[in-house]
Amino acid sequence: MSAASVTVLPRRTPPNILVVEGDVRLRCLVSDELRAISFKVVEAGSAREALTVLDAVRIDLLLLDLDLQPTGSGWEVVHRLNGNQPPTWIIGASSNADSAEKLEGLGLAIRKPYPISQVVDLVTRSLNWPQTPEAWP
Amino acid sequence: MSTSSTHLSAKAGPSPQTVLVVEDEVLIRLVIAEYLRECGYRVHEAVNADEAILILRAPEVSVDIVFSDVEMPGDMDGFGLARWVRANMPQTQVILTSGAERSADIAGTLCEAGPLLEKPYPTQDVVDRIRQLAAKANRS
Repeated sequence: MSAASVTVLPRRTPPNILVVEGDVRLRCLVSDELRAISFKVVEAGSAREALTVLDAVRIDLLLLDLDLQPTGSGWEVVHRLNGNQPPTWIIGASSNADSAEKLEGLGLAIRKPYPISQVVDLVTRSLNWPQTPEAWP
Repeated sequence: MSTSSTHLSAKAGPSPQTVLVVEDEVLIRLVIAEYLRECGYRVHEAVNADEAILILRAPEVSVDIVFSDVEMPGDMDGFGLARWVRANMPQTQVILTSGAERSADIAGTLCEAGPLLEKPYPTQDVVDRIRQLAAKANRS
């Protein structure tokens, strides 16, 4: 085999994902699934926590519960993103069908309740993350 | 103690020890949770005692050690959470941490490992404390 035919792909640094979800069990499940495929995951349970993290940590993808209660909604986070360096990707999750339309132009939307696999698939495709464990760091 | 030895210790046995970190300051929770993960622990996170109890009650989750702040917003503080764990999940160990110097004696009666771990705490101290508890649980 000639050297020219061998392509060595560098291992990628895992992207940072911020999971903002008010339902702690759902947050725990989604975060665990994303960590299982080698993403770096930060968890926030409220809009206030999300904004604190976004001020302090570089985030590549924001998975945001738009229905957060009671201290500020996910929309508060979306509106405040303009003042910071926004994540490359935003995926909004909501049980409200109108939210998907409102999010258009800012990011992707997913309807709640969702299967965890759907979120994992959406995140993986958005970040072009390899499907095979051999390629993970 | 090296990080690598801690890593091996956390992963000893069929599955890694699971720690529930309960802390309302998100950046503190982020740092301690990530450090514990790097040491090989499986880590769940809760913002307050109410969230912690939801996780502890979840059938899909099994927690070996609860690492909780004492002062937290909500109806239940860290002492209340420790009492709940002792009453409902006596096999689960509890470590409390506090910036205040209050009630070390109370914590000593609640936590198998003894007095409070005072904030700010070196992250390695947390791992050391968890290893002590895990070793004690394995002996009993």
